[in-house]
Amino acid sequence: MLVYALVAGLLFGLYFSLVGIGLNLVFGVMRIVNLAHGDFLMLGAFIAVGVSALAGLDPLFAVPLAFVVFVLVGLALYYLLVPRLQGSVDPEMLSIILFFGLSQVIEALTTIAFGTSERSIASNELGKILAGLRVHVFGGEADGPVELFGQSFPASWVISAAVSVVAILLVYLYLYRTRLGTLTRAVMSRREEAFATGINVDRVSAVAFGIGLGLAAVAGVFTPFMFGSVTPAFGEDATVTSFAIVVLGSLGNPIGTALGGVVYGISYMVVQTYLSSWADLLPYVLLILILLLRPSGLLGRRVRVA
Amino acid sequence: MLGKMAAALAAGLMFATPVLAADPPSEIKIGTLYASSGRFASISMPVYSALKLWAEQKNAEGGVYVKAFDKKIPIKLVSYDDQSNTATASTLYNQLVTQDKVDLLVADSGSVLTAPAVAIARDHKMFLFDQTGTGASFFSKDNPYIALMADPVSTIWPKPVADFLTQDGPKLGIKRIALLYSTNEFTGTQANAVRKFIQDAKAPVEIVYDQGVPTETSNYTVIINNIRAKRPDAVIHLGYAPNDIAFLRNVNEVGAKFKWLFCIYPGLETELLEKNVGVKGLQHVFTYVPPSELDYPVNFGMKMPEFRALWNKTFSDGKVEFGFNAVAGYTTALVLEKTLSVANSLDQMELRRAVFSLSGKLKTLDGTFALDETGGQIGELTPLGQLEPDGKGGLKFVAVYPHDVATGKPVYPRP
Repeated sequence: MLVYALVAGLLFGLYFSLVGIGLNLVFGVMRIVNLAHGDFLMLGAFIAVGVSALAGLDPLFAVPLAFVVFVLVGLALYYLLVPRLQGSVDPEMLSIILFFGLSQVIEALTTIAFGTSERSIASNELGKILAGLRVHVFGGEADGPVELFGQSFPASWVISAAVSVVAILLVYLYLYRTRLGTLTRAVMSRREEAFATGINVDRVSAVAFGIGLGLAAVAGVFTPFMFGSVTPAFGEDATVTSFAIVVLGSLGNPIGTALGGVVYGISYMVVQTYLSSWADLLPYVLLILILLLRPSGLLGRRVRVA
Repeated sequence: MLGKMAAALAAGLMFATPVLAADPPSEIKIGTLYASSGRFASISMPVYSALKLWAEQKNAEGGVYVKAFDKKIPIKLVSYDDQSNTATASTLYNQLVTQDKVDLLVADSGSVLTAPAVAIARDHKMFLFDQTGTGASFFSKDNPYIALMADPVSTIWPKPVADFLTQDGPKLGIKRIALLYSTNEFTGTQANAVRKFIQDAKAPVEIVYDQGVPTETSNYTVIINNIRAKRPDAVIHLGYAPNDIAFLRNVNEVGAKFKWLFCIYPGLETELLEKNVGVKGLQHVFTYVPPSELDYPVNFGMKMPEFRALWNKTFSDGKVEFGFNAVAGYTTALVLEKTLSVANSLDQMELRRAVFSLSGKLKTLDGTFALDETGGQIGELTPLGQLEPDGKGGLKFVAVYPHDVATGKPVYPRP
């Protein structure tokens, strides 16, 4: 049971790394608390449902679609909202209020558009274009579970974990191997100094905001597979969990989020195995523990002066 | 002498003349809550939509007959969105009672969102029309301010499940039972009841896995693996619709083959579960047989086909599914209507008397409305059924227990 919980936790955790990484990127660059993060995740899930139900395509096609659409949405939202926030006396506090309002609006509009009922996608729909490759690598049946360490796991979890790893690597490459990424890290490190040295902080921030929302939407594509179904109200819980993971890894350190997600995933599955009725308290318990024991997070170097 | 005669005449006239009711109100205010978002939206919205459908239907006919005023009076549905939040629900129930001063108080759907209403109604001495909140703790001899409208109390709801397992189960080879439940009033009470029925039966069956999980649980893969490790012959999962969706999907995704598997919502919200789990994933699953499959004799309100046709016409966009909760909302509406037609006043205790006077006599599309002394619903039955392929790519219900309502034999083990 422990091995199963550990492997399931790793797969689950990698997905949560993807859930949290966009949120951390936005916070790291702009010091904006995006309380609508989970709602963008939920919208990504609805894109996947649309791609699968309306177009009859593999939901994997929703990954690039959701990313591109929400990068554009992010750019538009950035120029609409963020410069005004940054010009205020207390942008962090105001961002909480603003994005909470945005979260409510998104949820209400989605409810009006799609109703309140659960929506899902058949689990064998995900990755059907790769079914042959999957059978070749893992064996088993094309629409059956995947065997790992002699135990079976949902194929959708393995696909989701694989996409998460790719996305995290791409974020890493973006941050550490591209010029825009270097500028992004400069803004994350010292926003005022970056501005003073002539970096176009607004442009860098807008791109980071777009990528943050795009990553949330990509994570959303896998939500119906990780949680069985999605409703317009899904965003709230996802936001709370995302914050727990981000704080766990380290605020402002997107790569730390990858570690935070894995720690969260494994902890969740182990608690669910041995103390199941307490499992949903985990995000809060982890938050309290990390704030008490290591306020800078697992990979944090210092405590941010908020 | 003359004065005494006049006084006696006046007194006589006073007793001879019937007490005149107060002026009839321009509308009867029915206060209720619904959840348009959050965890309970999918069970709350069908209930509320049915209630609204009834109110619109009655208002189009000029209102409902109110015996206290001997005339038809339009209904005003005063409703607020609690967003599946119990704290918000508490505030809004208070508002309905103290600010809106509604004539009749109707709870939101489900035990979680009914729980705050029970205490508030009792404090304000308002009679609570409890739609589907079946938690056992709501009903006690010292609380006269509640009655359950549209499904049985959770303590008796799972009796056919437990009786099947203890009486027919051993003959089929069922000896080891796994019990997984969400830790809320609705399913927690059912789990307690199952446990007690099984223990009291002293049958050769044992519960080898017994775990509660938070109602918010949406991922069961590890739990399913843990259950599998206990090698049960029968698995009972008690959760709300989102729990059942996630659980059944995970069962199929990890290729778990439970020989006997029970869930609540494949029966109660079949359309919703079919959409989210798929026909294949629901095949041979045991569940409660919904009233739509039992064709109860009706002496008040629409019959099932008529109601279903009206529902499909009204909610043709498919955003609110037809299912048990739609029936429950309409059943509540029928009880409200019948209560107003027999109550002598709108006094809350008189409303209670009127509701209880319907017990055993009112037969709706949901079965016989019958209450025990605490206000718990005991008339509407929940036979155990199994979902079988109908040969046309869909599913059909086969009632398997109790034997007197059975329409077929159970398939065991599930293929």
